[in-house]
Amino acid sequence: MTAKRLRIIALLAISTVFLLAWAFPIVWSVLNSLKTDSDVLAYPPKLVFTPTWEAYRDVLFGSGSILPNLLSSVIISVGTTVVTMLMAVPAAYALARLRFRGKKFAGFYVLATQMLPPVGIIIPYFLVLRNIGWIDTYQGIILIYLSFSLPFAIWLLVSYFEDIPFEMEEAAYLDGASRLKTLWRIIIPQVRGGIAVTIVFVFLNAWNEFLFAVVLSGNTVRPVTVAMFNFVSVEQTLWAKLAAVSVLAMLPVVVLGVVAQKHIVKGLTVGAVKGGGRR
Amino acid sequence: MSGQGQVSFRNIVKMHGEFAALKGVNFDIKPGEFFALLGPSGSGKSTTLRILAGLDAPTAGRVLIDDKDVTSTDARDRDIAMVFQSYALYPHMTVAENIAFPLEMAKLPKAEITPAVKDAARKVKIDHLLDRKPGQLSGGQQQRCALARAIVRKARLFLLDEPLSNLDAKLRLETRAELKKLQRSLGVTAVYVTHDQEEAMTLADRMAVFMSGEIQQVGTPGEVFARPNSIDIAGFIGNPPMNLVPARYVDGDVIIAGHRLKTTATIPGERDVVVGLRPGALRMAEGGLGARVDLIEDLGDTAVLDLDCAGTMIRMRVADGNIPGEGDTISITARPQDIHLFDPATRMRL
Amino acid sequence: MATTAVTSAGIASEAPRSDFGRVLAQRERRFAAALLAPAFLALLATTTFPLLFLVYTSAFRMDLAMPFTNGFVGFENYQVLLSDERFWTSLLVSLVYTGSTVALQVIIGLALALLVMDMKRGQGWFRVIAILPVVLSPAVVGMIWRTFMLAPEFGIVDFLAINAGLGSKNWLGDPTLAMVSVIAIHTWQWTPFAFMVLLASLASLPEDIYEAARLDRASAWQRFRRITLPLLRPAIVMVVIMRTMVALTAFAAIFTVTAGGPGTATEILNLYAYRKSFTELSIGYGSALAAALLVVTIIISGILFAMRRAK
Repeated sequence: MTAKRLRIIALLAISTVFLLAWAFPIVWSVLNSLKTDSDVLAYPPKLVFTPTWEAYRDVLFGSGSILPNLLSSVIISVGTTVVTMLMAVPAAYALARLRFRGKKFAGFYVLATQMLPPVGIIIPYFLVLRNIGWIDTYQGIILIYLSFSLPFAIWLLVSYFEDIPFEMEEAAYLDGASRLKTLWRIIIPQVRGGIAVTIVFVFLNAWNEFLFAVVLSGNTVRPVTVAMFNFVSVEQTLWAKLAAVSVLAMLPVVVLGVVAQKHIVKGLTVGAVKGGGRR
Repeated sequence: MSGQGQVSFRNIVKMHGEFAALKGVNFDIKPGEFFALLGPSGSGKSTTLRILAGLDAPTAGRVLIDDKDVTSTDARDRDIAMVFQSYALYPHMTVAENIAFPLEMAKLPKAEITPAVKDAARKVKIDHLLDRKPGQLSGGQQQRCALARAIVRKARLFLLDEPLSNLDAKLRLETRAELKKLQRSLGVTAVYVTHDQEEAMTLADRMAVFMSGEIQQVGTPGEVFARPNSIDIAGFIGNPPMNLVPARYVDGDVIIAGHRLKTTATIPGERDVVVGLRPGALRMAEGGLGARVDLIEDLGDTAVLDLDCAGTMIRMRVADGNIPGEGDTISITARPQDIHLFDPATRMRL
Repeated sequence: MATTAVTSAGIASEAPRSDFGRVLAQRERRFAAALLAPAFLALLATTTFPLLFLVYTSAFRMDLAMPFTNGFVGFENYQVLLSDERFWTSLLVSLVYTGSTVALQVIIGLALALLVMDMKRGQGWFRVIAILPVVLSPAVVGMIWRTFMLAPEFGIVDFLAINAGLGSKNWLGDPTLAMVSVIAIHTWQWTPFAFMVLLASLASLPEDIYEAARLDRASAWQRFRRITLPLLRPAIVMVVIMRTMVALTAFAAIFTVTAGGPGTATEILNLYAYRKSFTELSIGYGSALAAALLVVTIIISGILFAMRRAK
């Protein structure tokens, strides 16, 4: 009896420690974003303080507002997601369903491109984009983001397409639908769930990307992950503002993550079987 | 949407690599006929249906519908409707949308689609379910929805691939009868694939029996039952199927387990044969073949006896009230016209 | 007669051959090509082409700061690389970083998954909280840890260290502590991934096997060693592969925290290639480093996939 109770207490303690460890840095950033700089720097750290929106007001509407950077992040992420899905959905369907020579190789190629280390290809990107004047442009970044979003999206989608019975397509075909119409009217509506999960993943990865953004962005196109560095310099760190920017950068992905929690876990496990994503 | 639905298969061959799924299949289906393709799994009946539908292409041979060669015609242009074994209902559409889909693809005006959908749904008695999604329907209702989607087009040919196999036993019997009535009232040609000989016997006007990639017999259920063409068909048709017993043929008689039975055969001479005896054609009579009753399966109105005739197992159907006890020894015989003779080498009827 | 084998030639001679099958197959091929074309053109342009271009540039001296020295040098960059001590150090740092983060993630993730699996209540909390680090940008995570967690005194980790009697430490300024810190940060962010995948795999294991094992009087440890671990092996191997690939290509999480410092204490191969190319502007040599990274990645993924097949 006591051994059992001891076990339960130990279990509870361990659980609490891990839950706290994972949640705390995020919660702490939120708290710091509502403090003044002197409250942030207080020793011992303050858990109770008078909250203020000052930091948010400053980073959003003050001089050096990060609103344009948030907009950049949105344009890049949405743009990448749209272009990726337009290409990945038909490709994944073909890989999952159609018979053609070289299909195995095509599948392997997609898998292999997923393993490419980003640092390995950033130099050519930089040189080529500089030559054609696409540094600091949306088309440049979105094109480059396809290098990691496309293979991941294709592999994730293939597993969803494979779940649809062949008879469904044959029925539609006998009902007089063309191949394209079958894909559009019969198949795609049935993988809506998989498409939604894929969209979430592609958006997350694009929103969170850093290396390509650092090298290929400039003054016009500068996502928030890069702009964050404006608040930490050698001379001084703008503590509360940095916290506020971090929270703003985290907000969309955390909301997406919590809302789509179940699907993300499923996507992770599907990815675990197929090869998975990359950050 | 014209044509009568007459079908001819001419020497259809289907190869999967070196494996011959169909080895030269020939048959004709008359307009308005209910035609069954019967056979065990892997015998080629489903391949035949898919080739007729245009979903698979034959390796060689020709398919004719209403005297027109459609071997190379696209599935969409053959004017054929099909009910799949899994029903293949579109899960994201309502019943009404499912039924309307083929009409929509045929670019019919909306004003014509709605009444046609209602009409088809009424014919299969699901007009109260039009707003449901397939996932909300029972198995039987899904099956009807698939039927409605097939009949709404008024296609000249109506293909059914084991449409009853996913229903439970009771529902299968009810639906079977309704299916036949529906086909009659529509007057459409139906081609029906099944591995269930009872289904084929009760539904079909005529049937083709498939055995390992070939048609071994085409005929009415009565013909196939009365005069099976081969040992394989004899062992496949009837419940329980025909007893097949190796025996010796001597000048019109056969000798089974030392006992001599008269047949209708008139060829003189002596040879090895396989004798076919329907369980229902056997009767108890004095001076017949001696047999010990091993097991009795009582089916209520009749019973099936497992008999041991000097080491050979023979099954016999007897009417109720006429049942011997287990372990009893009885004497059985059969009329000459009920004795079928097969060649053990070619496995064909003699 | 019914079951005799029939050769295709034997049958074909009796009936006119149909080329409809070829037409259907060709139509399917064309449709597939049309559907695949956009994605594969994009992949060729954004992965294969840059790869070839990288190999090409690595054969040049390409110094953006001193363009007058530029020119074809053949394998010189690679010869320099082999005798470059900073390269070997960064390779070692990469291996230590990858090896320790992956091991920690899998061990902690598996232990926690086993623990949570038996919990009747509170699983939901884990599922929600664990998703948080995973969806965050490594850049933001790095920034948060560098400032609010690891800054001297008011950083929470340092605050805890002081209260534990260890005294204030220079978490990112001391070479060893800096390495420990970046490993801890990566582990913090990605252990939930291993945890969630392994928990999902655990949940999919058939219950009755455990009941049978219990009836066979297997102890908890025996059940784990003899049943859970072998059944979970494919999932564990997959997690190891995925996490290794990510750890090998990690960049933002270190760049934002230490930028490779102090000195080159946390400079993984990725960071070295980046710094050489974009800080020291020596693109040709940077390309050679990136190519070396690629080779390392291929070798390690080859080993891992061989491991996966081994079972």
